[in-house]
Amino acid sequence: MVTLSGQIIAAVFSFLLCVRAAGGVPLEVLNFFYIDGLSAFFLLLIAVSSMATAFYSLWYFKNDENTGFYYFLFNIFVFSMYFVVTVNNLGMMWMAVEITTLASAFLVGYRNNKTAVEAAWKYVIICSVGITLALFGIILFYYTASSQTGLRNLNWTELNAAGKFLDPMVVKAALIFIIIGFGTKAGLAPMHNWLPDAHSQAPTPISALLSGVLLKASFYAIIRFVIIASKSVGFSFCGNILGLFGIISLAVAAFFMLVQKDIKRLLAYSSVEHMGIVSLGFYFGGKAGIFGALFHAFNHALAKSLMFFSSGVIIKKYGTNNMHQIKGALEVLPFAASAAFLGMFAIAGLPPFSIFMSEFTVLYAGFKNGFYYSSSALLIFLAIIFGALLFHFSSMLYGKKPANMSASKESAGITALFGVMLLFLLALGFHIPDFLRTLIGAASNVIFGVE
Amino acid sequence: MYIELMQYSVLLMAFSMVAAKRFSALVTLFALQSFLLFLLTFSEAAKNGSTRLYIVAGLILAIKVIAIPAFLSRITKKIKVPDGMGLYVNTTLSIFIAALITLLSYYFIRNFLPAMDKEAGAALIISLSVTLIGLFIMIFRIKALAQVVGLLIMENGIFLAGASITDGIPFFVEIAVSFDVFVAVMILGVFVYRINSLFTHIDVDKLNELKG
Repeated sequence: MVTLSGQIIAAVFSFLLCVRAAGGVPLEVLNFFYIDGLSAFFLLLIAVSSMATAFYSLWYFKNDENTGFYYFLFNIFVFSMYFVVTVNNLGMMWMAVEITTLASAFLVGYRNNKTAVEAAWKYVIICSVGITLALFGIILFYYTASSQTGLRNLNWTELNAAGKFLDPMVVKAALIFIIIGFGTKAGLAPMHNWLPDAHSQAPTPISALLSGVLLKASFYAIIRFVIIASKSVGFSFCGNILGLFGIISLAVAAFFMLVQKDIKRLLAYSSVEHMGIVSLGFYFGGKAGIFGALFHAFNHALAKSLMFFSSGVIIKKYGTNNMHQIKGALEVLPFAASAAFLGMFAIAGLPPFSIFMSEFTVLYAGFKNGFYYSSSALLIFLAIIFGALLFHFSSMLYGKKPANMSASKESAGITALFGVMLLFLLALGFHIPDFLRTLIGAASNVIFGVE
Repeated sequence: MYIELMQYSVLLMAFSMVAAKRFSALVTLFALQSFLLFLLTFSEAAKNGSTRLYIVAGLILAIKVIAIPAFLSRITKKIKVPDGMGLYVNTTLSIFIAALITLLSYYFIRNFLPAMDKEAGAALIISLSVTLIGLFIMIFRIKALAQVVGLLIMENGIFLAGASITDGIPFFVEIAVSFDVFVAVMILGVFVYRINSLFTHIDVDKLNELKG
C-alpha cells in the first residue's frame, strides 16, 4: 500500500510537470534537472505504467510474505527511471541507466531458482557491457565538444547548443557506440539476447515494467544523443542506423514469435518488435514519423502492461508459462482471458485500438517519405507477427479446459484495472486528447530543435 | 614521455591478462593495471595541483587497486572452485586475437578520426583496444568471475580514454561512475555466490537452460 501511494504521489507530481512542460517552456531546477517536452512525455509514460504496476503488484504478491525487499527495489527501480528522463547532465543520465540495471537485477532474479539466476546474470552482464560501450561514446562526444568549443561539462542543454560545431567524424563514431550501447538496453536486435530471458523469469509486474518503460527509458537516452548529433551529421545519418536496427529487430521478433512456446517470451519478443517499430519511425522521420514513434511508445507501454498483467493471471492459475499446456482459458478465467484476447488484438495493431493509429502513422510516414522497401518489409513482418499471435492465443484461450480445473472468481480490483486499461487503448484509438497531442508535439519540437 | 610509457604499459597489462590462465593471476594483473591508471592520474594531479584529480586518483586506489581485487579474491577463496579460468581459445591464439583487436582499433580510429592529434590518437587507440580486449575476455573465458574482471578491464579502457583525450571527464560524473562500478561488482559478486550454490559450478557456458 505504501508503495502504491508513493507511486501515485510521484505520478501526480509528474502530471503537473507534464502540464507545465507542455506549454513549451523547459523547466530547470538547481541547474541539475531539466524538463522539456521530451522529458515530460517520457515522465507521463513512466508515471502511468508504474502506477498500474504498483497496483498490480499488490494483487500479485497478496499471498506472499516478506515482500519488503521487492517493494524496496521496485521503488528504486522506478525512481531511477524518473531520474533518467529528468536529469540534464548526460553523465548522470548514463549513471541512472546503469542504476536501473543494478536495481532490477535482483528483481529479475527474485525467484532465486536456476533459470531466474541465469536470466539475471545474463541481464546484468549484457546490459553492463552495452552501457560501458555507451560511455565510450559519451567520452567521444565530450572530447569533440571540449576541443571544438571549450565546453567543460556534460550538460545536455550546452552540448546541444554547441551541436553544430562538433566534428562530424567524431560524432559519427560516438553515435555508433551510443546506439549500440543504449540500444542493448532498449532491446534492439541483435543485442536483445538478455530480453526474453529477463522478461520470462522476472515476476510478472517486473516484466511489465521492463517492457513498458525500461526499454523506452533507454531509447530516450538514444534520442537525446540523436538530437545533438543531428545538428552536426544530419538527422538522416542517425535515422539510418536506427532504421537498420529496427528492421533487424522486426525480422528477429517475427521469427522467434512464430516458434515460441513460452507465453512470456512471446510477449518479450513482441517488445523487441515494437521497439523496432519505434526505431523505424525515427528512420522514416518527418513530423509524422516522429509523432508516430512517440505515440507508439506510449501505446505499447499501455498495451504490453495489459498483456503481461492478464497473462500473469492466467499463468498463476495454470502454474505454467508453456502455451501448449494452457487450454480453455476463456472458460476458466473469463475476464482475464478476454482482456488478454482483446489486448492481443491491440498489440497486433488492429483497429480500433490506439496501436493501430500509431503504426498507421509510422507506415504513412514511410510511404510518404519514399521508404517503399522498408515500409513494405514492415507490413510483411506485422502480418507474420499477427498470424503468430493469433495462432498462439487462440489455442490457449479456446479448447477444452483441463478436467481438474474449475472456473474461479476473479478479483474485482484486477478486473477494474484491466477494464480501465482497455478503455484507454480504445479511447486513444478514436481520439487523441488535446493534452497528449500537445505533449507529443512539444516532444517532437525538442527533437526537431524548434524553439 | 613517461605518460606515453604508462599508457603503453596499460595495453601491455591487457595483453598479459589475455595470456593469464589462472584467475588469481588475472586479478593481480587487473590490480596492477588499475595501479598504472592511478599513477597516471596522480602525476596529472601533481602537475596541475588540482584537488579534484587527487580525489579521483584516491578513488581509483581505494576502489580498483585495493577493494575490488580483495573482494574478488575473497569470493574465490569462499566458493572453492578451481583456479583455472577455462579458455575457449588457447593462450597463443588469444594473444593473436588481442593483437588483431589492437590493429582493428588502429584502423577504426585512423579512419574515423584522422584529424585527431598524434598523442591523443595513440591514447584513444590504446583505450579502445583495452576496452575491446576486456570484451574478448568476457566472451571467451568460461568462469563467471572472469566475466566480472572483463567488465572491469573495459571500464579501465574507458577511464583511460576519458583521462587522456579529454582532461578528465567532469568531476562528479567521475565519482558517480566509480561508485557505479563498485556497486556493479558487488551485485555481480552476489550472483556468483548464487550461481555457485544453485549449480555447484560457475561455468557460464553451462548456463544455457533459457533459449529460443
